[in-house]
Amino acid sequence: MDWTEILRFSRGPLFHFSLIIFIAGMIYRLVRIIFLGWEKDRVKNQGSKWSGVIISYLKGLIILPFIPWVRRTFRNNALTFIAGGLFHLSLFLVLIFGEAHILVWQSLFGVSWAPLPNPIVDWLAAVGIISLIILLINRLTHPVLRLLTKLPVWINWTLVFLPFVTGYIMYHHLWFPYEVIFSLHLIFVCLLLIWIPFSRMSHFLFYFFSRTIHGARAGKRAVSP
Amino acid sequence: MKEKSIYEHLKEKGLSRRDFIKLCGTIAGMMGLEFAPPVKALGKMVHPDPTEMVAKALSSQPKLPIVWLEFQDCAGCSEAMSRSSSPLLSKLVLNDLAIEYHETLMASAGYQAEKAKEECLKDYYGRYVLVVEGSPTLAEDGIYCTVAGKSNLDLLREAADGAAAIIATGNCASFGGIPKAKPNPTRACGVGEIIKDKPVVNIPGCPAIPEVTTGTILHFLIMGKLPETDHLKRPLVFYGHTVHDHCLRRPFYEAGKFADNFDGDRARKGYCLYHLGCKGPITYNACASLKWERGLSYPVQSGHPCLGCSEPNFWDGGGFYQGQSAALIPPAAKTSALAAGAGLAAGATLAGINSAKKNRAKKALASAAENSPTDSTTAAPPEKKEE
Repeated sequence: MDWTEILRFSRGPLFHFSLIIFIAGMIYRLVRIIFLGWEKDRVKNQGSKWSGVIISYLKGLIILPFIPWVRRTFRNNALTFIAGGLFHLSLFLVLIFGEAHILVWQSLFGVSWAPLPNPIVDWLAAVGIISLIILLINRLTHPVLRLLTKLPVWINWTLVFLPFVTGYIMYHHLWFPYEVIFSLHLIFVCLLLIWIPFSRMSHFLFYFFSRTIHGARAGKRAVSP
Repeated sequence: MKEKSIYEHLKEKGLSRRDFIKLCGTIAGMMGLEFAPPVKALGKMVHPDPTEMVAKALSSQPKLPIVWLEFQDCAGCSEAMSRSSSPLLSKLVLNDLAIEYHETLMASAGYQAEKAKEECLKDYYGRYVLVVEGSPTLAEDGIYCTVAGKSNLDLLREAADGAAAIIATGNCASFGGIPKAKPNPTRACGVGEIIKDKPVVNIPGCPAIPEVTTGTILHFLIMGKLPETDHLKRPLVFYGHTVHDHCLRRPFYEAGKFADNFDGDRARKGYCLYHLGCKGPITYNACASLKWERGLSYPVQSGHPCLGCSEPNFWDGGGFYQGQSAALIPPAAKTSALAAGAGLAAGATLAGINSAKKNRAKKALASAAENSPTDSTTAAPPEKKEE
């Protein structure tokens, strides 16, 4: 088996195919959700929906993560909050500001931006991996979570963990020849891309829709409904 | 009459014993012979000195006849060889190991040359080494490359028949190389795909590093067999590490310092060429350790990213100047739009079916309410839509 050929295949046709599935799948999901139906807005709005949206984003993404103790989620389960938060932060930064990932964005969209220094991205990736492991242990040991966890959740965890850990191994040139681990990294990323639209991982996009809608609703000042 | 050994030939040409031992040391070092295979002597395993072993081989072996065939090639590998950095070694191979037939280098031409080859193939049957440069062509029985009225497939099979070993030098002979690039009208391929019954070793590269070719020939001469190879039949001694492994820009890679164009300040400072498409991490070759021109430089050192020329299909392996992580086939706007359209259509269709189903259910409820007017208040259609 020639891994250079496999690498070429995963960088080329496989990635291409997964992106197409990803785009089609996300649009499909979006359309299905939109067509579920909207509430009719029958009452005159006295407040501002836009300010509601802005406040919702400020609170959810910028203020509350830094004063987490005001949230019940944090007070009840600090571990999930911290590990989950760090994982999301790490994922976002590594994906958007990693040196090699910027080259991917550039090849897809034709634009590039300044990367974060590699050592920082490296530490962030390590943080992401450790958080994922902590979350897994939590899930395995927590009696209630264990009842709630079904197969899709395990698939979610595995398909996020594998690209993370193969990327880390690749960056450090550990154990595997570069072309082997690079191919594996890409194959797992492709599997993830195909899996995202059909799983809860689609929250990476739908989160913003729901936050906008909830924000707008919170900004509305009117007699119910 | 007993054939003269290589050492005797060299001695006749005025090589002193001291120079001969130096040469043997050079050869052993270049072949990467850290120690010779152990020999059992006096009940003990002894590791002989590699220089000694080379010297013994050269002073006992007769000349090694070499037949060098060229097919679809640019003669670049021969050129590299004749201008090799270590004149000692290439001189040794070119003059003293006896290349019996080489279209580019031999003085004779035409019938004379062909006759010399025929005689060589006959006289040294089963003993000579066949070096192939350039890719054979399979299309239409090999008529796309003919020498002296014979197709290259016939020439290759004829020469391979009596060869003790076959060395495919350059990417073309090893894997098809540039002639194999899409659309490959001549159906070029590697020698190993045609000759299955003889030991074949590949020395890919564009051109092959001359020291690697000579080193492999000398290995056969000294050890009596071809060197150990990897899964692509490349000698492990030379192709055991990637260009990236021994790259002199590697520290910049580790530090995350990359050149973003060929002209800028960062390129002049010698930063890593990963962003400019360097294929060093996936290319197995000895460039970074042996280098070219007497160890003067190699592509990455002189500021050009590695093209991956010792790997199969390197010419079609995606852009040469695109970072390794970049997508090879980014979906075009049209493809993305089509995919989005398909998703939209599928979503809308299913949503339509869903809402038709809901409407039917509503109507059924309404008609049920009409039929039994007493329950009309409770059977009102639900306000909130739900799936």
